[in-house]
Amino acid sequence: MDAVQELPDKELLTRHAQGDDQAFGVLVHRHRERLWAVSVRMMGDPEEASDALQDAFLSAFRAADRFRGEAQVSTWLHRIVVNACHDRLRRRKVRPATPTEDDTLDVMSNERLGRLGGPPDHASQTESRLDVQAALEQLPLDQRLALTLVDMLGYRVEEAARILDVAAGTVKSRCARGRAKLLPSLAHLRNPQPPPDVTSGRGGANPS
Amino acid sequence: MTPHPDAEALAFLAEDLLDPSEERTVTAHIQTCATCAATLDELTGVSRVLAATPAPELPQDVADLLDRRIADAVRERAERGPDTEPTDPVPAEHPSADAAVVPLAAARRRRSSNGLPRLLAAAAAAVFVVGGGVAVVNGVLSGGEDAMQGATPLLEMEDAPDDGEAALAYAPEVVRSGTVYTAAALDEQAARTLGHASVGDAEAPSDGGAQPDGGAAGGAAVLEERSLTPAVERCSDLLEEEFGTRVDLVDDAFYGADAEPAWVLYARQGDRFDVFVVDPRCAQNGDVEPSVLDRTTVDAP
Repeated sequence: MDAVQELPDKELLTRHAQGDDQAFGVLVHRHRERLWAVSVRMMGDPEEASDALQDAFLSAFRAADRFRGEAQVSTWLHRIVVNACHDRLRRRKVRPATPTEDDTLDVMSNERLGRLGGPPDHASQTESRLDVQAALEQLPLDQRLALTLVDMLGYRVEEAARILDVAAGTVKSRCARGRAKLLPSLAHLRNPQPPPDVTSGRGGANPS
Repeated sequence: MTPHPDAEALAFLAEDLLDPSEERTVTAHIQTCATCAATLDELTGVSRVLAATPAPELPQDVADLLDRRIADAVRERAERGPDTEPTDPVPAEHPSADAAVVPLAAARRRRSSNGLPRLLAAAAAAVFVVGGGVAVVNGVLSGGEDAMQGATPLLEMEDAPDDGEAALAYAPEVVRSGTVYTAAALDEQAARTLGHASVGDAEAPSDGGAQPDGGAAGGAAVLEERSLTPAVERCSDLLEEEFGTRVDLVDDAFYGADAEPAWVLYARQGDRFDVFVVDPRCAQNGDVEPSVLDRTTVDAP
C-alpha cells in the first residue's frame, strides 16, 4: 500500500491502464478535492457536481490508456471534469431542470442553514463566504471558472489555460472581466478583518 | 483630466491586456486620479478575497459515492478481463454520460432511510458549506450518531504555492473506535487504533464499493469515520500550539474506569505517534494543558 501512495501521477495512470486495481483510486484521492471545487463552481449545485464528477471519473478510468504523456495528469483530469460539466450544462439547457427533490441539497438552502446555525463570533466570516459564493454565481460561467481556477485555487494562468483549452490571454481577460464585475458586490469585503481569535483559524483566510 | 476609465479597463490594465495607446491613457489618468487608483487597488482586493475564501469542500457522502463507483468499475473490468476491454469511441476528454450516474439525492436518501429526521440531515449538510473554523453543529460527536453521516471533514484550501498545485490544508482524521482507553493499557490500545486508522499508511484502502448502503465496509476492524467538528478542531489547534505538534488523527472515545467521553489525539513525530487523551471540554477554557488526562508515545504501525 505504502508504495502505491508514493507513486507519481503518471505512474499511477500507467499502472491502472495495465490492470492495477488500486492505482486509479489513489490517483483520484489525490486530486478529488480540487476537482470537486471546480465541479461545484461550474454546476452551482452539489448534486449535479456529484453527477458530473462520476461521469468524469468513469471516463478517465476507461480512457487512461489513451492519456497522452505530454500533459500533466492533473491537467488532464481537470479537463475531463470541465468537459463533463459542460456536457451536463448543455443537456440541462435542452431539458428543463427538474426541481430539487425533498432533500435539502441546493447550495443556497445549505447556506441559509449555515447562517442560522453559525455562532455570532464567526458570523462575519460566514457572511463573507456566503457573499463571495453568491457574487460568483452572478458571473458568466467562463469568468466564474477562470476566477475559480486562478484566484481561488491558485492555478497559474498557463495551467488554467491548458485545463480550459484556451489561450492564456483569454484566461487573463476572463479573470479581469470577472474581477471588475465582482468589485461592487465584494467591495465591503476587500479589507477582510481578521476574526478576533485568529489563533483558532487554520489555513484559509490569510489576513494581509 | 480624461474621463474615468471603467473598472474593466482598470482590470485589463492590471493584467497587462490593454493595447499600448489605451494603456498610456489609462496610466496617465490614474496618476492624477485618486479614485481610479483606489479602484485599481480594490481589484487586487477582489483577488485577495477570492483567495481567502475556502473552496467548497468535498462532502463525505460524495467522496464515498465516488469511491463506490470506482470500485464498481474496477470490479467490472476485472470480470471482463483486460483483453475484451471495449474501445471507447468517445475521446477521453469528452466523457460520455451514458454510464448510469448515481444521483447524490438517492445516495443520501439511502443513507438517511433509518427514520432520520430531515432537519438533522440538512444540518449535517450545512457543515459542507460553512466549513472550517465555524461552529455549525455542536455536539456532533456526543449525539446524533448516524444522523451526521453526511457531514464533511472541514478541509480548507490554503493559499496555493507558486507551482500552481493548490495545497490542501490538512485536517485531522476523526474516527470513533469505541475504545475505552485506560492508563494501564493506553500504549496497546493506541497502537491498535493506529493500526486500524488510515493515518498509519497515509490512506485507507477504498473498499466501500461492495456496500450498497454506504455503511462501514469490511467488518468490525474498520473504524467509523466521523466529521471534524469545530470543537474537536479547536481542541486540536490548542494542543498543537501547546505542544508544537500536528494532530493527524482524533479518536472520539472513552477513558478511565468510568468510561468518560474522551478525545484521543494522535500526532505523528517521525515514526512514532504522540498520543494525548483529552477531556472533550478542552476547547472551552483556552488552555489545553489541564484537559490532558493522559499521554504516551507509541510506534507508528
